[in-house]
Amino acid sequence: MQEKNINRWLLPDALSPDQLIEKISRKYTIQTESSRNRTVTYFDSFDWRLYRKSFLLTRSDERWALRRRDSGRAVASIFEKDQGLRKFAWEFPSGRLANQLKKILGVRGLLALVTFDVYSRRLQVMNSDRKTIAHIDMIAQKIQTEPRVFYTIRLCGIRGYENITRKLARNFRRWGIGEVVSAEYLFKKGVAAMGRAPLDYHSKFSIVLAPDLSIRQAARAIFRQLLDTMRQNEAGIFEDIDSEFLHDFRVAIRRTRSGLTQLKDVLPPEITETFKREFAALGQVTGPTRDLDVYLLYEKDYLSRLPGTLRAGLTVFFSEMADRRHQEWEKMVSTLKSSRYRTIIENWQAYLDGSDPGGVSRHSEQPVGGYARKIIYRRYRRILKKGGAIGSSSPDETLHRLRIQSKKLRYSLEFFASLFPKKEMNRVIKQLKGLQTNLGGFNDLSVQQEMLQNYLADIRPGSRKNQDLAVAIGGLLTALYHEQKEVRRAFVTTFETFSGSKNEKLFSNLFG
Amino acid sequence: MSIIAVFNIKGGVGKTAAAVNLAYLSAQDGAKTLLCDMDAQGSASYYFRIRPAKKFNSKKFLKGGKQIDRNIRGTDYPGLDLLPADFSFRNLDLALDRSKRPEKQLSRILKPLRREYDRIFLDCPPSLTLLSENVFQAADCIVVPLVPTTLSLLALKKQMGFMKKNGQNAGKVSVFFSMVEKRKKMHVETMRRMSKKKWVLPVAVPYLADVEKMGIYRQPVVAAIPRSAASVAYGQLWEKIRKILAKS
Repeated sequence: MQEKNINRWLLPDALSPDQLIEKISRKYTIQTESSRNRTVTYFDSFDWRLYRKSFLLTRSDERWALRRRDSGRAVASIFEKDQGLRKFAWEFPSGRLANQLKKILGVRGLLALVTFDVYSRRLQVMNSDRKTIAHIDMIAQKIQTEPRVFYTIRLCGIRGYENITRKLARNFRRWGIGEVVSAEYLFKKGVAAMGRAPLDYHSKFSIVLAPDLSIRQAARAIFRQLLDTMRQNEAGIFEDIDSEFLHDFRVAIRRTRSGLTQLKDVLPPEITETFKREFAALGQVTGPTRDLDVYLLYEKDYLSRLPGTLRAGLTVFFSEMADRRHQEWEKMVSTLKSSRYRTIIENWQAYLDGSDPGGVSRHSEQPVGGYARKIIYRRYRRILKKGGAIGSSSPDETLHRLRIQSKKLRYSLEFFASLFPKKEMNRVIKQLKGLQTNLGGFNDLSVQQEMLQNYLADIRPGSRKNQDLAVAIGGLLTALYHEQKEVRRAFVTTFETFSGSKNEKLFSNLFG
Repeated sequence: MSIIAVFNIKGGVGKTAAAVNLAYLSAQDGAKTLLCDMDAQGSASYYFRIRPAKKFNSKKFLKGGKQIDRNIRGTDYPGLDLLPADFSFRNLDLALDRSKRPEKQLSRILKPLRREYDRIFLDCPPSLTLLSENVFQAADCIVVPLVPTTLSLLALKKQMGFMKKNGQNAGKVSVFFSMVEKRKKMHVETMRRMSKKKWVLPVAVPYLADVEKMGIYRQPVVAAIPRSAASVAYGQLWEKIRKILAKS
């Protein structure tokens, strides 16, 4: 029995499942083969990583399945009796499913998006020998929190009896069953009922600005979107789903602060000053948890660098880290839930939603395009100057400062990307990305070395275990140090590419 | 991928019943399974309620390829397909004789199916002919249902002699007891004597109405009456054969 031509139709409201069965049984002998009740829950990361790659992840009864979004066909699945909660890809038992999920989800955790109660019944269609010549699955699905029931039917052909399948399909169309639905049809209905829509969140910032806006109007739109991002991520931070909610939250804060600094004289000075200060404080409140998140993310990398005999000590180290992180997180959450924080956010929201009081300074009425060009080009020139001055003997600090500068340039490019030709903009961002990857890598390695050195300083000598651990960390430090040297060496060529005449021409054409 | 032939020179010894139930059990394991009904009587096809297409015949069978592909039918059971027999299969021998390298034709025909199926079962007609030679050549495992009587033993000896004479590996043969009636002294005695031989599987499928009734309810007895003593015996038989296949 090979199932071919799997098709899914939506039963029109005018045709009940019983009516359909009655219609089919006028032409064929049919019989219910099996039926079952189950609940099906759909999962994805907050930023729809599975959906973006055309997958749906379902858990029904004892089965986890990664399915194609269109056909619903499972490409990888596991059965497990124990309904343990699995949040991260690495928590799944190793195998095809775990590998696929790891590749797609990375560090993001899974959220249960919507749960359906599903009742399915399999009908056998038989010929005069009572040989089964096709199957029809009738599936009733109900979003758990909603009253409406959706009926879909699936026609499953059997090898050697394709003509019957075709005949049945023709009959279905005659009976007004015309709407073919993909597997994601009900998924979309379900997430909509939960107040979401596929791809409604992406950690990449993008906004479309009308070119006739004033810089002040544009700034308000940008800030409003960044505030939305912060608010969207709050729940995930409070539920502690994964590290990326806080990360995206902090990036939105940083973008806001960078915007407030770069777009000076655009909003009333007291607003700019107040919120610059408040958001700086918010950045500080959320800093320690993020730092520890970052350290914890190194765990797998470090363990893989160490021989098995030394891993136990490092596990202790990371579990201490996790405890500290939990304390910091609790502190942060209580701050973020405090009325003081709520007030900042509410005030900012009120200001951005409130009626636009109009011009506040001589700059704020300028068209957005010219202003954007000016600040982007100025930032670019500054990077050229600072970066060009960095030689092989310049202190590490200069690279860190250049990293911050590049980040600011990246933010302003992203704020105003919609105002410039897409192709050129992509090239500009790609060039900048290359530089940022190098600088980011350099910084990352500094942070890691600093963390390990601090830890090493705290290890008490004496015990054999600590001695081994110290040796291991020493080994790690050496490796990281050499890697950082490599990255630093690569900086020269990376920066040469970025500051090259071709790129310079691109920048001056676009923004000069 | 393995090919399992259910074979006996004699008719009416429970070949088809064994082939149908073993193929069903194989598919239940999750292995993609094909049962080739090669007996012109078409009993295996009948048990699965499948009729061959009007245009299917032995000539097309020997052509293989697309001709086979379009005549395979899905059974009512997941993972189990069947290639029905046509009445013209009674002349397969004559047709084989006309071809080049006549003893290797079946291997050639089955070759493309090896990609699609994990296991192929051959339900063979009773005889000892060119077709049998083809079956011995193609199969990885030859399962012989043996009614424990003197005459049956004689037939088995003939088969082994024939295989050796034609340079076939008699080690592929595994025997189990079929249509066993415990109240018959001869059955019990024959089984006792043979049980020491290592190619004899310690399985006895009883002579039961449950098996004969397969012709009425047209399902494998294992599917229809899983608690029948016959079903239990087929289950044991399948376990043994699976182990043999795993080794080869």
